[in-house]
Amino acid sequence: MAHKAGFQTDEKALILAAQKGDQDAFGQLVRAYDQSVLRLAMNLLRSPEDAQDVYQEAFLRVYRNLNNFRFDCSFHTWLYRIVTNLCLDHMRKRKVRKEESSLVEGPDGPVDRMDTVHESRAESDPQRSMFAGELRVRIDKALSELSARERMVFELRHYQGLKLRNIGEILGTSEEAAKNCLFRATQKMRVALGDFV
Amino acid sequence: MNTCEKVRKQLSMLLYGELSFDEEETVDAHLEGCAECRTALERERVLHAAFDQAEIEAPASVLWESRQNLQRQIAAEHTPIHRVSWWDRFLDTAWLKPVGGLALLTIGFMAARLAPSLVPGLGLGVTGMSLMDPGAQRVRSVEPGPNGGVQIVLDETRQRTVSGGLDDQNIRVLLLSAAKDPSDPGLRYETVGILNDRAQAAEVRDTLIYALEHDENAGVRLKAMDGLKPFVRQPEVRKALSGVLLSDGNPGMRTQAIDLLTQGVGEGTGNTTGNALDRDMIGTLQELMNHENNAYVRQRGERVLQLVNASRDTY
Repeated sequence: MAHKAGFQTDEKALILAAQKGDQDAFGQLVRAYDQSVLRLAMNLLRSPEDAQDVYQEAFLRVYRNLNNFRFDCSFHTWLYRIVTNLCLDHMRKRKVRKEESSLVEGPDGPVDRMDTVHESRAESDPQRSMFAGELRVRIDKALSELSARERMVFELRHYQGLKLRNIGEILGTSEEAAKNCLFRATQKMRVALGDFV
Repeated sequence: MNTCEKVRKQLSMLLYGELSFDEEETVDAHLEGCAECRTALERERVLHAAFDQAEIEAPASVLWESRQNLQRQIAAEHTPIHRVSWWDRFLDTAWLKPVGGLALLTIGFMAARLAPSLVPGLGLGVTGMSLMDPGAQRVRSVEPGPNGGVQIVLDETRQRTVSGGLDDQNIRVLLLSAAKDPSDPGLRYETVGILNDRAQAAEVRDTLIYALEHDENAGVRLKAMDGLKPFVRQPEVRKALSGVLLSDGNPGMRTQAIDLLTQGVGEGTGNTTGNALDRDMIGTLQELMNHENNAYVRQRGERVLQLVNASRDTY
């Protein structure tokens, strides 16, 4: 706890320093958050390329607009507002382009770009591995059928571990609305997974 | 809607810890008396655990590339004011810690330091230049690279690229030199982090001990201490840690030092005290008691002295 409090104090100092043009301070700010930003984008967009685009654009916007940051909210909330907006844009564009699948053409036919990402999680037991693989496919499909906002709230709550209050703040909505969104998302996931789990 | 239906609708939020105090009370009270809803709660737990299966961690290489690209873009729109670039400390060695032992070494001017000269898997041994007199060059920065590699940027009169394994002597010489570069704490921090993986070599260990004892930057000293942890039983390491304990101005350093030096003490059963302390260590702790003002370090010191039946005072 003391560490967290210390970090927040340090963070304010870093932001102030970065606002004065201290590149080192800006680098430290980026490093404090960039892994979770990339993970969020990766999970939402299921594409390393798109996730990298979001990472790039998000931190460039932070860099360009840091002087306008007035501590009205936490830096984390501000950053995540930028990131979630970028991700939502990507997800909506993708819906329009009907590019939901992460399949690309490989030498032996279509392959899923995310397979390489999932490989590290493979189980040593082939049967468990097969089950885990099938489960993942089912969950991926269920996730892809959520609306962009449901997907976002589910991602922020389940994988990023943010509280609904904070999620509401990030997405510019109420805690109650975020809760309803999460409820719908988990309900849909439950139905989609049926008796698989 | 009956009570069971209402409760089941709230189970997911219960697991997320998103129910109000009153709502949680109602659900808990109902669950105590309803076996079916308890079963439903277990199913919900399984479902939540299943969701975890779909989580993706971004591969190290994607993060690394993203950081590189960001650095390039920012450099393109802004000339850094400070000579010590934030990029120097940008890549987290712990996160991208080399595990394979291959090192990739890139040498160049500032402008070219992030140029796509990095070719993963480039060979063993130094390539691209001879390092006849590495001391004549200045190491500007050291960064972990993909595939367990390392990228070193040198300032010299012309741009050259070398690659080699961490065990390559020429690479080693550069790294040992960079670890002592007095002008750049970021460089020393990254270098020490990389050298930590080779602390079994005496020359590397000496450099880490030097950093632990003399580096003015606490982050570098702490990093060096990390690398020396596996060698805490060695006399020269213990001596350096004792020095830290008695004279390092940073309480975090002293805290880690005392934990390392006294690890195992008090973990025995009955009247035993795990690892006994040598006389020198007891003397160090007694001396520490005379001036230590950090509560944790002081308490730990007192406790250890008590466990080994030693007095708090020196005679």
